[in-house]
Amino acid sequence: MTYSDQAPPKPPVKAARRNPFRRLSVIWIVPAIALIAVLGVAIKTYLDQGPLIEIAFDNASGISAGATELHYRDVTVGKVEKVGFTGDLTSVIVSVRLTKDVADYVDRDARFWVVRPQVTAQGVSGLDTVLSGVFIEGIWDSQPGGLETKFTGLSDAPLERLNSKGLLLTLRAAPDVSLTEGAPILYQGIKVGQIGKTAISQDGSTAEAEAIIFAPHDRLIDTATRFWDTSGFSFTLGPGGAALDFSSIASLISGGVTFGTLVSGGEPIEPGAILTVYTGEGAARSSVFSGDEGKTLNLSAVFEENIAGLSIDAPVELAGLNIGRVSALNGLVDPVQFGDNRVRLVATLSIQPGKLGLEGEQTEQTALDFLAERVKAGLRARLATTSILTGGLKVELAEIPDAPEAEIQEMGTSGPRIPTAESDISDVSATAEGVFQRINDLPVEEIMNQAITLLGNVNALITSEGVRSAPENLNGLLADARGVINSDDVKALPGQLNEMIGKLATLIDGFNQAELTERLGKALDDAAEAAQGVNTAVEGVPDLIARLNGVAANIEEVAIDKMADQMTELLTTVDSFLNQQSTRELPESLNTSLTELSAVLVQLREAGVVETVKDTLNSASNAADAVAGASRDLPRLIEQARQVLAQAGTTIEGYQANNGLGRDARDALREVQRAAQAVSSLARAIERNPNSLLTGR
Amino acid sequence: MKTAREMGLIGCQRCTRVSPQGTEICPRCGGKIQSRDPNSLQKVMAWWILGLACYIPGNLYPMLETKTLVSTQSSTIIGGAVDLAHHGAWGVAIIILIASAVIPMAKFIIILGLVIGIQRGPQISDGLRQRLYEIVEYIGRWSMIDVFVVAVLSSLVQLQTLVNISPGRASIFFALSVIFTMISAQSFDSRLIWDTGSTPKPEDPGMAGTMNADAEKERPA
Repeated sequence: MTYSDQAPPKPPVKAARRNPFRRLSVIWIVPAIALIAVLGVAIKTYLDQGPLIEIAFDNASGISAGATELHYRDVTVGKVEKVGFTGDLTSVIVSVRLTKDVADYVDRDARFWVVRPQVTAQGVSGLDTVLSGVFIEGIWDSQPGGLETKFTGLSDAPLERLNSKGLLLTLRAAPDVSLTEGAPILYQGIKVGQIGKTAISQDGSTAEAEAIIFAPHDRLIDTATRFWDTSGFSFTLGPGGAALDFSSIASLISGGVTFGTLVSGGEPIEPGAILTVYTGEGAARSSVFSGDEGKTLNLSAVFEENIAGLSIDAPVELAGLNIGRVSALNGLVDPVQFGDNRVRLVATLSIQPGKLGLEGEQTEQTALDFLAERVKAGLRARLATTSILTGGLKVELAEIPDAPEAEIQEMGTSGPRIPTAESDISDVSATAEGVFQRINDLPVEEIMNQAITLLGNVNALITSEGVRSAPENLNGLLADARGVINSDDVKALPGQLNEMIGKLATLIDGFNQAELTERLGKALDDAAEAAQGVNTAVEGVPDLIARLNGVAANIEEVAIDKMADQMTELLTTVDSFLNQQSTRELPESLNTSLTELSAVLVQLREAGVVETVKDTLNSASNAADAVAGASRDLPRLIEQARQVLAQAGTTIEGYQANNGLGRDARDALREVQRAAQAVSSLARAIERNPNSLLTGR
Repeated sequence: MKTAREMGLIGCQRCTRVSPQGTEICPRCGGKIQSRDPNSLQKVMAWWILGLACYIPGNLYPMLETKTLVSTQSSTIIGGAVDLAHHGAWGVAIIILIASAVIPMAKFIIILGLVIGIQRGPQISDGLRQRLYEIVEYIGRWSMIDVFVVAVLSSLVQLQTLVNISPGRASIFFALSVIFTMISAQSFDSRLIWDTGSTPKPEDPGMAGTMNADAEKERPA
């Protein structure tokens, strides 16, 4: 066998298996880098991811998963990842992915609420959420306290907002005070705090609200601080005019509270303390001394009398001190208790324990204990008058000395019942009623009857026979008297009287000449002398004649004419007097009467009266003589006066009524006139009462 | 038809000068020449995977974020097109859908198909494959139109709080995806199409730049 022409068989060649990695292109680095980057990002994201917390809200209004953020100090620290429900669908669970930085601080104290746009009387808040949508805001303190994952969200923002440190208080509203959520707390007109959520206190008696006083104003609050309501406005109309007062528009609309430290010496207050908000500054001030006004003790009192005038808010007084008010009035019909069907007045008395001034704790119970003790000693509730004019009533707790035993009864739902006493009402209507009652009680009809009877009796008496015969008896009596007078003894009297009168006439003559006539004559002489003096004075001043002419003319016109008339009248009167029959008959009648008297006197001489009568008659005689004298002298007097006047007339005429002289002349003439008038009046007096000459009066 | 490779020649891809087989440096332009790029398919697949990876977030994340006073609106590419279609803007919706969804998807599929065709033998003619490749290369850049729209809008509509349009995260991924697919397409050595054509090819270990040994085994010797 030959192998020469045969090529050796090809050795089996097999390519060595190449390392697959050596065949790999470098380009695979690029996807590898991408993969590594993706993985890195994924791992980093996972590692950086904060914890997921769950917040329960009532509703998820505005919250959307993946969009709503969680803010802390307005920095986004988380995002809502999921919105779901609790197992029983009662609330919404919002799952929020926190950032890692803050996770440790979101501890048990953290609080969350949803910030929504709000427009209130205090202003607009959360406006940014209008554009951005709502967000969840959270607050937590700066102490890391371990992550908590389940929270319950608040429905509203809490009072202590971020960074707003302050003093948290609980305000309790006194009656008639309304606390408004979000209302400002003002101090000197500056907002220093805010009222938070309002609620009814646990016992249901008052309204309470959280409040915060922002730092640094919280140092203004101490135990002596009182809060009062400044909401609304006050309108006063007084001597200073009308005044409308309100502190701010916001407080006008929604209410506000202010405070003041009314006395010094307060101690720092504990956070969370309960303080009362009073109706006004006055109430707040008075509370400093009277204690808490918030709680009241309710008593009921049943008054037997149904008297109009007691109204709700009427004061309740103890020893003159207002300790409460009437809070309700009702009627009560309780046959079982009272034994009849009458309607009784039940008043509910709200007593403020603080006003009783009890020592130690001032609660309803201590006040009730105090009153119960006093009731055993006789304290009773009674109605009393507040004002006499208005007739308003109040309830007075007064100690009745001899009151029957009673004590405060516990009446279940209507509260303790205080025993009552009879009312002490002294109002105008009652007094007036009393007066009318007295008038009514007067025996008017009896008196009238008696008067009628009396008049009847009088009538009967007058018409009786005896009374009618009385005049006749009188006639008889007078006839007897006449008989006595006409008796001989009495008739003998005139003779003696005549004698006496003769003596009297002589006496009066003397008197007349000595006294009266002389005086008159002297006066006239004086007048004449004065006239003469005038005459002489005038002689020295002939140069004044011309000036006196005018005056003289006046005198001529006025005085002289009048005077002449008067003189004429006087003379006429005197003349007529003298010519009067009575004057002429005077001596005669006197004679007659004296004669009769003389007879009487003689008759009575025995009785010793005559002497006295004689004296009297002597005086009368004197008077009669004076009259006679006067009558005799009168014509002469008048003649004298006429002469004087004639002289005066001549004087004046002679000097043609000189002016300077005129005054003197007028005076003189006045004197003369006065004298003449005196004469005239004398004459008139005599004419009027001729007997006055006789009686001397 | 004979390829240059079968005739023992290499064409320079820079200056197109033809050199005999074995030449490594182009005698005219000095560029590196090789008959086939042995790592071409690896590069294509590497970029293709990256492009596809970026394409997924590019469609899932929002492309455009429109912030107005009252709302923030963000929409993905497909979502935006659907919205437009709902509003009746069918034309625009179709354009967006074609530019942003159909074309990238078509690119991915065509490139993958070309690669598979080279490795496992083509199912379609060489000419069609070449045509497809040209289309992919040409049309690939137009996918960036979406990214351009976003860029223009974002720079124009910047009224701060009133209206603010900003590119969403998807825009970056989408742009990356487009870039990577373009690179992928360019990495494809189109000469390989002819090697696996209907005509039998001479054995050349250099051309078999595959990742997988099975493909090498199946290749005709």
